[in-house]
Amino acid sequence: MFENRTTGFALALPAAIFTAALFMVPVGILLSEAFRADGQWSLSGYVEFFSEPLNRTVFWRTLKLGVLVAATSAVIGYGAAFAITNLDGRRRGQVFGLVVLPLMISPVARTYAWIVILGRTGIVNDAIVGLGLSETPVRLLFTETAVFLGLLQLFLPLMIISLVSAMENMPRDAIPAARVLGANWLQVFTRVILPLTREGLVMGGTLVFTGSLTAYITPAILGGSKVLMLETLLYQRVNVANDFVSASVIAMILIVMSFSANLLLKRIATARR
Amino acid sequence: MMRYLPVLTAALGLAAGAAQAAENTLTISVYSFAQDAFKEAVYDPFEEICGCELVVETGNSVERMAKIEAYAADPVVDMAVMSAHDALALARKELLAPIDTSKLSSFDQLYPAAQDPLGGNLGVGYTFYATSIVYRSDLVEVNSWADLLSDEVKGRVALPAISTTQAPLVLMMLGQALGQDDILQTIDTVGENADDIVTFYERSSQLAQLMQQEEVIAAPIGRFAWSRFRGTDLPFEWAEPAEGQTGGMNVMVMTRGNGNEDLALQFMDYWLSTEVQTRLAELGIDSPANAAVEVSAEAAENLTYGAELINSLTIMDPAVILDQREAWIDRWNKTVIQ
Repeated sequence: MFENRTTGFALALPAAIFTAALFMVPVGILLSEAFRADGQWSLSGYVEFFSEPLNRTVFWRTLKLGVLVAATSAVIGYGAAFAITNLDGRRRGQVFGLVVLPLMISPVARTYAWIVILGRTGIVNDAIVGLGLSETPVRLLFTETAVFLGLLQLFLPLMIISLVSAMENMPRDAIPAARVLGANWLQVFTRVILPLTREGLVMGGTLVFTGSLTAYITPAILGGSKVLMLETLLYQRVNVANDFVSASVIAMILIVMSFSANLLLKRIATARR
Repeated sequence: MMRYLPVLTAALGLAAGAAQAAENTLTISVYSFAQDAFKEAVYDPFEEICGCELVVETGNSVERMAKIEAYAADPVVDMAVMSAHDALALARKELLAPIDTSKLSSFDQLYPAAQDPLGGNLGVGYTFYATSIVYRSDLVEVNSWADLLSDEVKGRVALPAISTTQAPLVLMMLGQALGQDDILQTIDTVGENADDIVTFYERSSQLAQLMQQEEVIAAPIGRFAWSRFRGTDLPFEWAEPAEGQTGGMNVMVMTRGNGNEDLALQFMDYWLSTEVQTRLAELGIDSPANAAVEVSAEAAENLTYGAELINSLTIMDPAVILDQREAWIDRWNKTVIQ
């Protein structure tokens, strides 16, 4: 694009300096704390972290909810994306707009709405009691279910957007061709749609999983200290215990989990090519 | 050289101005809440009196204490307000200077408990708060701290998280009601009942909505949060448990070697004066530690007010909180939220 590479480097330099000075260096310094103890390089922070049963519980809960939210949003997302891509132009735009709409509303407002919806006097409990599933309202708030629902609602649009984009790039005749050749819908999905939309799934899965790991407001409001996640634990370590070493260890674990998820999904996406 | 003289003079002038400004500047470290009201009721009037500038630093206790500790050799904060046990933590690290109480004109008017809560005049109490149980009187009756674990409120009660200032006080009173001497034992009891406790809240502001939608019908809170409940149409009551109410106090402290002691003392004296304590009490911001303060009945409803109430509070020794907190948190993490 450029006549010589120097021009390209020169144009990128201010942004690179800005990012390095104001983001990478401070984050590097902060994260290096996670590998230091008594002034020396050490992994003792990690050993200590994982030796605490509470921390292990929080780690596995964060991983479990991240995987569950990503998997559920993929299942719902494929259905929604398939339906959206099969709409005509104008309606497709309208429905797509509805999917994007929640992203324009503050996560705090969206999460607080769940407190009303999932409360004892909320619509879900009204339905449960009304349908005779339980005689008394069921406690839904401050449970893993509440955090799961909050995170799913928060990040589902990202999965749908990624999958719609991937499906729009699929050859239009691929599905009819598979059907004509005798494939049932399960085969169409596993042999045609899934392979052709893997990039979208990797992108959506990474966004949803990483988002679920690093979300703070939703687990804090809907889970509180009864359903601690790594992010809420990190906040507690900094703001309650002033323990930056422990907080850096948690931050590093979150980064490793995010990168691992991305690598794993990419590997799955390219596995059978 | 001559051509540089104007520049040099200007630079020296600026430096002198800066030095003078530093001498006339008092840096205080305070809680973040109600800062607009504090500015109007305390900071602005004081700046007019002293002809100085107040630099107000806010944040949570952990951040503010960390800053005082980080700048121990050359303090950037002259005076701070915090809970008695946080202040004691700083005192044990020798970060605080004794307060010359002879320069506090209202000192003798302070409730005895506020005069030297840390020992060695290292802090002076400026506000008290009672802690009791707020409950929905149309749904339940609360007469004892033990009622927090009764069948009537099972599944609809919230307790403060162990990291909060309220938690040790609540555990102490709950233990007293249950006949338990050791807070660790009471934490185990809470752990056994953890499934019946809706949440362990970190801010009392979280409770208002939960209690309005009947998710929670009883929870311990500090009196400073009572106005949130009292102001609604729902029948909230402030319990007067058989075991009494607990409470605590916030103190003002002076950092060691800040070099600004006189101005800091002048500010403390102003804040503790009957005039300012009355103003803050009438605004519903801080309950007075100055016994000479008289407020309207309406204002008193939201406060921890009056000698009879303050002298009846069961206040936990800050040293006990400081010495035991780590063990409590450890047990809590193992038995309550594990």
